[in-house]
Formats: sequence, C-alpha cells, structure tokens
Amino acid sequence: MGKLRLGHICEAVFWLALAAFLYIESFEFDRGIEIYKFGATGWPRALLLLVAVAAIGQFLFQFVAGDKATSGTVGAATDDGAEEAARQSGHSHFRWYFSTFCLLILPFLYMRAHDLVGMFLELDKEGIHSVKLIAAPVLLFVYLLLARGNHVGAILTLPLFFAALLEDLGFYSMAPLFIVGVTLLMGERRPQWIALTAALIMGALLFTFVSLLYVGLPTGNISPFYDLSHWIVTMIQ
Amino acid sequence: MDPFGNFINGTVTLFSDPLGILIFFGGVVGGMLFGAIPGVSMLTLAAILLPFTAHLSAEHGIMLFSVIYCTGVYGGAITAILFNIPGAPENAPTAFDGYPMTRNGQAGKAVGAAVMCSAIGGTVSAVIMMAATAPIANWAISAFGPPEIFALVFFGLAVAATVGARTLWKGWLSILLGLMIAVVGMDPVGGIERYDFDMPYLLAGIHFIPTILGFFAVSEIFVQAERKATGVYEAPKLSVNFPSVAELIAHKFAVVRSIVIGFFCGILPGIGATLAAFMGYNEAVRWSKDRKAFGTGKMEGVISSETANNAATGAAMIPLLALGLPGGALTAMMVGVFQMHDMEPGPLVFLNSPDLVWVVFAAMFFANLSILLVGFLETKTIINLLRIPFQFLAPLILLLATVGAYAVRGLVIDVVVMFIAGVAGFFLRRSGYSVAGIVLGLILGKIGEQTFAQAMQMLHFEWTGFFNRPIAALLIVAALLTVAGSIYSAFFRKDRQ
Repeated sequence: MGKLRLGHICEAVFWLALAAFLYIESFEFDRGIEIYKFGATGWPRALLLLVAVAAIGQFLFQFVAGDKATSGTVGAATDDGAEEAARQSGHSHFRWYFSTFCLLILPFLYMRAHDLVGMFLELDKEGIHSVKLIAAPVLLFVYLLLARGNHVGAILTLPLFFAALLEDLGFYSMAPLFIVGVTLLMGERRPQWIALTAALIMGALLFTFVSLLYVGLPTGNISPFYDLSHWIVTMIQ
Repeated sequence: MDPFGNFINGTVTLFSDPLGILIFFGGVVGGMLFGAIPGVSMLTLAAILLPFTAHLSAEHGIMLFSVIYCTGVYGGAITAILFNIPGAPENAPTAFDGYPMTRNGQAGKAVGAAVMCSAIGGTVSAVIMMAATAPIANWAISAFGPPEIFALVFFGLAVAATVGARTLWKGWLSILLGLMIAVVGMDPVGGIERYDFDMPYLLAGIHFIPTILGFFAVSEIFVQAERKATGVYEAPKLSVNFPSVAELIAHKFAVVRSIVIGFFCGILPGIGATLAAFMGYNEAVRWSKDRKAFGTGKMEGVISSETANNAATGAAMIPLLALGLPGGALTAMMVGVFQMHDMEPGPLVFLNSPDLVWVVFAAMFFANLSILLVGFLETKTIINLLRIPFQFLAPLILLLATVGAYAVRGLVIDVVVMFIAGVAGFFLRRSGYSVAGIVLGLILGKIGEQTFAQAMQMLHFEWTGFFNRPIAALLIVAALLTVAGSIYSAFFRKDRQ
C-alpha cells in the first residue's frame, strides 16, 4: 500500500466518481452546434478527463510520498492554518464525518420538506407554509440533539440552516437568532455580551443597508414573520 | 491637446465641481472600507451602488466606479493580511504571505507595505495609462485575438496551479473544480444548458460573488471556529509598526517588476488584476534566492502582489475605454453604467466624450495617490478590528457576507450557494486544496472556453494554428514548460516538505 491512508483512497474515489457522474450527466446536453464541431460537451469532457488524470496523479504521488508537499508549490494552503487546525482537532475519523454529514443534510431536508410531504398529501400554498412551520422547529430540535456530540459540525450547519430559513422566515426575524447561535457556538456564555452583540450588529446592519442604502433584505413569506419584517422596514425607512 | 494638458483639464474639471469632489472622496473612502471590511468587497459596494448611478451624470457614475476600483483593490489587501480573507480575487496572493506576517505579529508591516506598493503601482499605472492609452490599445487590437487570449488564460492557470495548494496535483484539481463550476449554465457558443439539473437558478450559471464570499470569507470563519472549538485558536498578534523606507527601497526591483507584470496583465481584456497579482507573486518566488520563505510571512510576497494588482487597475481601463471590453467584474459593471446613460464604451467615447475620459483618468490618478494618506489613517483604525474577540466578529462577518451575497441579485439561493461554498472550502482547505485556485478557475473558465471556441473557429479547428501566431505560441510553450517543470519537481526533486 506504499504510504497510502484510507483518506487518500477516499479522496481519489471522490474525484473519479465526480468525474464519472458529470461525464454521464454530459449526455443530457450532448447536442451538436453547427458552427462548432466540439459541441457543448467538448470543453467539459476535456476538463473531466484532466480531473481524472490529476486525481490519478495525486493518488500515485500519495502512494510514493504520502502527505508531503511538492517542492514546486508555494505552501499557502499548507500554512494558512486549515490543515494544522484539522490535525489538532482530531476530526478526521469516519464517525465525525458521518455525524457532520447528518447535520449538514438537515437544512436541505427543510428546503425540500414540502416536496417530501407532497408525495403523500396534496398541498396548497397554506399547506406548504404549515409544513415549513412544523418542519423548522422539528429539524432544529434534531440539530440540537446531534450538535451536542459534534461542535464543529454544528458550526458548519448553523449558517446553512439560517440561509434555508431566510426565504420563508426572513432576515429580520432570523438574523438576531443567528447572531445568538453563532456567538454561543463560539464559546461566549455571558448573556449581556451576547445581547449587546446582537443589538449592535443588527443596529449597524439595518442602519447601513436598509436605512442608508435602501437594500431590500429578505422579508420572508410566511405570516407572522413576513408582517414583522415589513413593520421593521417601515419603521427604519 | 497633449496628454498632460488633458490631464490638467480633467483635474480642474474634477475639483471645480462640488458634487464631483463629494463623489470622489465618497468613492475613495467607500472603496477602501468595503474592500477592508471582512465579508464584503468593493464588488458588493459597486453592486449596491449600480442602480443609483442612473441618478448621476455618466461622468460622475464612471468616475465613482473607477475610484472605487483603485481604492477597493487596495482595501481588499487589508482583510487578506489581517484575516486571510482576500477582499477580491486579486488580493488572494497577498494573503499567502500577508496573513502569516499577521500571525507572526507583523500585521502593521504587511499593511504598510500594501499601502505604499498599492499607491506606487496604481499611480505609475495611471500615468502610463494616460500617456499610452491610444498606442497600446492599437497594439492590443492588432496583436491579441482569441488564440492569444486563450493562450494567456492557459498560461495563467498553469502558473496558478503551482501556487497555494499542498501538491501540484491538488493545485490542478482546485483549478479544474473552478473551471467545472464555470461550465454550469449556458454554453458560450450554442446557448445550450449544461448541468442545470432542471433548476432555473442554474441556467444563468453560478454567480462568482457568492462563491468567492463562501470560499474565502465563510470558510475562513469555519477554520477559525474549528480552532476555537478545539481550543487551539490564537488571536492574531496586533502591531501598527509600518515598514521603514529602507525596507521598501530594498524591494525596489520587486516593485518595478510587478508594475511591468501588472500593467501588461491588466491591459488584456478579461484577464485583469487577478492574473497580475498571481503572476507578480509567482515571479517574486521564481526570482528569489530564498523561495522557501514565501508562504511563511515574507514581505516581498505582499509587495509583489499588491504592486501588480494596483498596476493592473489603470491598464484595465484601456480595453474598457478603447475597445469596450471589460477586464473584470468591476469594469463589467462600468459597462452597465455606460449603458444606463445610453452610451457604449469604445473608441467613440474618446471622440464624443473626451471630458469624461480625462476626468476619469485624473480621478484614478488622485485616488491612487490618496491611498497613501487615507490608507495610513484608515488602516490604523481597521487594524483595531483585531482587538474584537472572534466570537463577536464571526457573526458580523457571516451576516455581512449574507447581505453581500444577497444584494448582488436579490436571491436567497445565492446565500445558500455561498454557505455551501463555505462548507466545501472548509473541507477542501483542510485537505490541502487551494480555494484561490478554485476561484481563479471559476473566473477564467468562461472566458477561457469562449476564447478557445473562437480561436478554434478562427483556426479552422487546426491545433497547430496556435503555433503560427508568435504571441500565442510563446504563451502556450511557456505554459507547457511551467506544467512540465512543476511535474518534474513534484516527482524527482528531493526537497519535498
């Protein structure tokens, strides 16, 4: 096995599987273009071939040299703290990756909740809103359960959850909760500092973007969050 | 009238108009601030301001954007140095050595070097731009067709693959991932939808602003959060000691070299300051006797990157104003400002609106000079951002990035894409891949494919046609030698780290 680790094999499998998947998908748009003989697939397929070559090159290099850096590269990624943080955290075992994957999938479950329920029930607009209002707290509860054993996974997932909820519940309702959540996950426990941070950040953002620059932030589309957002915008502007 | 006389006229026009002065200083401070605040960039400010330029004259609108461009390119260096978050892709190489300098307690020196070199690079570039717009534009029109631009993109990517990732292969995989992301959406020749997975959002392609915010700003927050969660986070060491004049004079050759590289990269349509910064940095490494010190906090890395990217700002205006071809995202937005005023950038602008051209040139010259003054004053304030504990800074950066991603097109899905890019960037970075390489691939992907298609049509699908054109041949040979050299050193040199 040379200097190979399981991670190296997973990495190679990932790139080759990605290249194979995208190659198969390229048949969806494999149509000729009269003035261009390579068609719409020529460029992406050439890139996918190079992805496969680079993935195999990387695999062979790891077989020979393990995790060493090549001398021809300037070591920014090796020195920007990301790899060092990964090594020191010990988050490189399968259980951690699986737990993180389970957390990361929750926001996408929320985004597709109405489709999943729609497979069994016919949903109108009100029904979709009801499904989302039920799915949000249920999935957040699952998130809190899973987050107890995976702090970093929780940090990675929270912004995705925030983004998933923006469309329906709006920036104005979700941003203060998001600030509190991030601050707590970063280790701050003093309630007065958390409240002050949330108030200052929200105040600065709303004043700069909504009041001064008239940037329309997401207001949500489910009542009462939508009504609350409009009330705040009216008050500020 | 001669260029000097035109410049004096432009200066008088600029500073005799109170609204013009207000817009000029607003652009200077706004560009620096938005460039320097982590999570947003000059592109965010430009995107927010674009609709409002309809209420300004064309002269004021274009001048505002050109000033934001000059000072924003510098401002992006501050976040690259202090937080490892390049304000724009052209600041990515600045982070390679700027951020390690911050971690070594030399933030002030790195920022000071960026201030001085951005001002020098930008000002010299503005002077050359004023003197040489017409002859250089004429040369570029005749010498640079699609084969040459494709060859230059290829050369740029070959160089970039050797920078930033743990191995050459990971460098190429990073760039190829960026190129594949750029494939999503309509194909540039036949308009055929690719990899849209029946999602209307993907028809227009994945926008580069949320992707850049995700790969740089969000992934950096995640990396620092992991360090904090596992108890190994160290706050950056604070210092406001700027470099001495002697230290800067010691790097005079790096400055001159980077000005030349920056200017010539900036002048080429679609290439702009990003490639300039990467090439400026890479040449600094290549010419150095102490190559291994790069990436660990070497001031020459910051100097080369920042001189080159600001030297490209003046040059980038030449294809825009002379040919109507934008060199990057911000100059593309300038085309939008022209169009909002029923004007088309191109040779006719010089004939029909000479006042506009020279007011813009004068504004760019003074904007670059003002980096020296405003840069030093503002930077001392911004460095104090480091005093804010990370647990309070992180939600601010994430929310600024959210607003920045959303403000571009008013789509929540852009925010989702940004956070997905952030998570992907987190996992890729901890495995030794280069997020700067991904972003460069993403930005150059569209123009690379487009010019390749045009070149092949021009050359009647004969590959050898590239080698009948001296500039294209030279660039392709240089790119192939770069690839071959890096493969050789990856497998056969013994000094692996």
